[in-house]
Amino acid sequence: MSTVRDTALHSGDSTTSELIANVVLAVSFAGFVVSWGVLFQWIDEATTVAGATVLILLGVALLVAAVGLVVVGVASRLDRLDTTPSPTAGFTVGAVFGVLWSVLGALLATTLLGAGTVLWVPAAVAFGAAGSLAATLTREDIGSTIPVAVVLALLGGAIVLGQIDAAWVWAPAWSSASFPGSELIPAVVIAGSLLAAWSGAKAKAGFGAQGRQAGAFALIGTVVFGMLAVLGLLIGFIVVNGLETMLTGASLLGGQLTIPVVGVTIPWPAFPFATNVTGGLFVEVPGVLPATIGTLWLVFGAVVFAVPLGVGAAVFLTEYAEHGRFTQVVEVATNGLWSTPSIVFGLFGLAFLVPRISGGNSILVGQLVLGFMLLPLVLITSREAVLAVPDEYRDASAALGVTKWQTIRSVVVPAAMPGTITGVILGVGRIAGETAPLLLVFGGPPYPSNTPNVLGSFALTPNPPFVTNEALLSPASALPYQLYSTITAGVFPKEIFTNQQFGWGTALVLLLVVIGLYAVGVGSRLYFRRKLHHE
Amino acid sequence: MSNAEIEHHDEASSEQRPTTSGESDEQIDAAWREYDFTGQAKLSVEDLDVHYGDEHALQSVSMDIPDESVTALIGPSGCGKSTFLRCLNRMNDRVDAARVDGSVELDGQEIYRDGTNLVELRKRVGMVFQAPNPFPKSIRDNISYGPRKHGDINKGLMARLLGRDDTEKEDELVERTLRQAALWDEVNDRLDDNALGLSGGQQQRLCIARALATDPEVLLMDEPASALDPIATAKIEDLIEELAEEYTVVVVTHNMQQAARISDQTAVFLTGGHLVEYDDTDTIFENPESQRVEDYITGKFG
Repeated sequence: MSTVRDTALHSGDSTTSELIANVVLAVSFAGFVVSWGVLFQWIDEATTVAGATVLILLGVALLVAAVGLVVVGVASRLDRLDTTPSPTAGFTVGAVFGVLWSVLGALLATTLLGAGTVLWVPAAVAFGAAGSLAATLTREDIGSTIPVAVVLALLGGAIVLGQIDAAWVWAPAWSSASFPGSELIPAVVIAGSLLAAWSGAKAKAGFGAQGRQAGAFALIGTVVFGMLAVLGLLIGFIVVNGLETMLTGASLLGGQLTIPVVGVTIPWPAFPFATNVTGGLFVEVPGVLPATIGTLWLVFGAVVFAVPLGVGAAVFLTEYAEHGRFTQVVEVATNGLWSTPSIVFGLFGLAFLVPRISGGNSILVGQLVLGFMLLPLVLITSREAVLAVPDEYRDASAALGVTKWQTIRSVVVPAAMPGTITGVILGVGRIAGETAPLLLVFGGPPYPSNTPNVLGSFALTPNPPFVTNEALLSPASALPYQLYSTITAGVFPKEIFTNQQFGWGTALVLLLVVIGLYAVGVGSRLYFRRKLHHE
Repeated sequence: MSNAEIEHHDEASSEQRPTTSGESDEQIDAAWREYDFTGQAKLSVEDLDVHYGDEHALQSVSMDIPDESVTALIGPSGCGKSTFLRCLNRMNDRVDAARVDGSVELDGQEIYRDGTNLVELRKRVGMVFQAPNPFPKSIRDNISYGPRKHGDINKGLMARLLGRDDTEKEDELVERTLRQAALWDEVNDRLDDNALGLSGGQQQRLCIARALATDPEVLLMDEPASALDPIATAKIEDLIEELAEEYTVVVVTHNMQQAARISDQTAVFLTGGHLVEYDDTDTIFENPESQRVEDYITGKFG
């Protein structure tokens, strides 16, 4: 093996360095993934592979990466590799390694020499200085590999030699928490593998400007990956916890559907959790239909209220109002309104709207309060969108003798529509999950036995206001409100679920409703974009 | 292709040289601006002054523009020729800082007075801009946009319910204007496609067709070919010459060869917003009276 590598090195073939760098990258990626698995206990830390536990293997991975980095760094320094390093790794790298090495020095001093302020301070300072100097004073190929390799080797060595194992507990004096080795080791390996990946990516691209770019991309890529992983974890967690509840009693053909006019009954998917009411005497599987319908009515009412107002205000501010103090004040006020805490909106609704409109909690007041919350975002985004409509369109329209209002209606607003819808999508995501104001102005019994029948409750009266709607003025339940009630209530009234199970099921349905609303928004935005642009 | 080279050379030279002669001592002789033509004046401009804030952009310009002809406005950048053009359909009203004094008459009727019907004015005096600016709508909707907004074409659900659907009328209008703009053969199979999918030259011809759809008498063009390649430019130039048989065309251009090729009479604006010389195109290009105009035309300054 070594002779093969030597000849390859002597011939100055850069594929060898790429090969080693690839090994480093692969090892660090594997270490990264496995560590997360261990941290979340998808992989049992006691699992043994080829006679070694997973934790030991993670230590070995760090050691392998360290050796690989040393080989690449030294070979490059001896000009055996086809690399283009800069004279120094740079100040930022030096600062990072200064911090890393000083932490390492402090840990070493306390572990080997016993705890004592007198000892760890000079050790930390000395190590920090050494790390930062090693990174900055040497050429880049040494400066960005050797300091990493030393850190990795120390950590990996401590793990492999059993200095730190699963049973080892770190209980720092300054904290009441204690960290068992089974959690600490994966965490350390995650950090170490990020370092190794950065250094390995730099080495693979041959250091220099290319190397820095590759290193940065490796870090950014990992961060993006981590972000997606967090999102996936969150959704996955809710799905795992809520799926069983949501699918209780569900079957593909267990239900029946009677086709209205014909009167024929055919098998139909049964989905009791989504189609049943929550309370009521004869409900076997309590469902979330009333809360789902309540949420949909809330969102619908808020959008109907906020979108025309917001777009209208945006058009007025951009097309008609003089740009000056007034528009500035409106802008500041709008931004302030958007960041106002939702409970304040709720309190306003409770004190101002409830006594004037329904005298108690009601769907209508909930819609209005959420509409107030949605309004500023719709205003901000549609204003941006209207501003972004090219002036050429307005000129062309004016030159054809078309009035300003007609221009706004048939050219400006359609062209601003995709931007407006983006704002509505963002806002709907927020208000659909809003709980605090609903507690004050909207919520009725948490486990309702009937669904709000808004459409069927319109009635004509001989006296003003001539049209009434009882359901719109009554309280109802919404998914986030019901989730809150379920969690804070001690016992779920039906035996079939515990309140935790019911809560997870509700959360999953809420997630699906919000995703569904997103899909509707994205679809309509796509529709308007298609209309505006070629294909 | 040699045509294009000349154009480029010409534009480059006009960009490179600073307008030093703008401060020359030459006095402008009012006689240079006199242009005798037979027939009626379509547009008659009298002592037109334009200020943008403190800047005096156009200084007491007077000229008569004859009917059914091509009038070219040439001059270096910032000389006020586009400002002058935009005064002819009152597009300068849209600029807050602009102040216009003087008189412009269209067929003997003053357009700068209270109570002027801007919709009617702009229907009669159409405009085509420097960069093609079709709406993000279908080709058909671009052309029928003006007539629909003016109520000359009724379409849609309400019109259909009332039995006043003008789809046929619209089709005729679209075909007529696209043929006039020499675009019909290229787009007649995709009238419902988005106009933004056309090439730059096609878009500009669509804009001309759109301007023709309101049935104008005068067509103002602000450097209509400057954003286009030589082949598209040649098409637009041919089109302008054809349109002059029916319409009064006023075209601003940076390109002197273009002015010489297509126009019947040429007005030369020089720095400071002065109209220096106005005459037959042949006279302007072969035997100008002003030394500065001659310098400008021969490329000694730009």
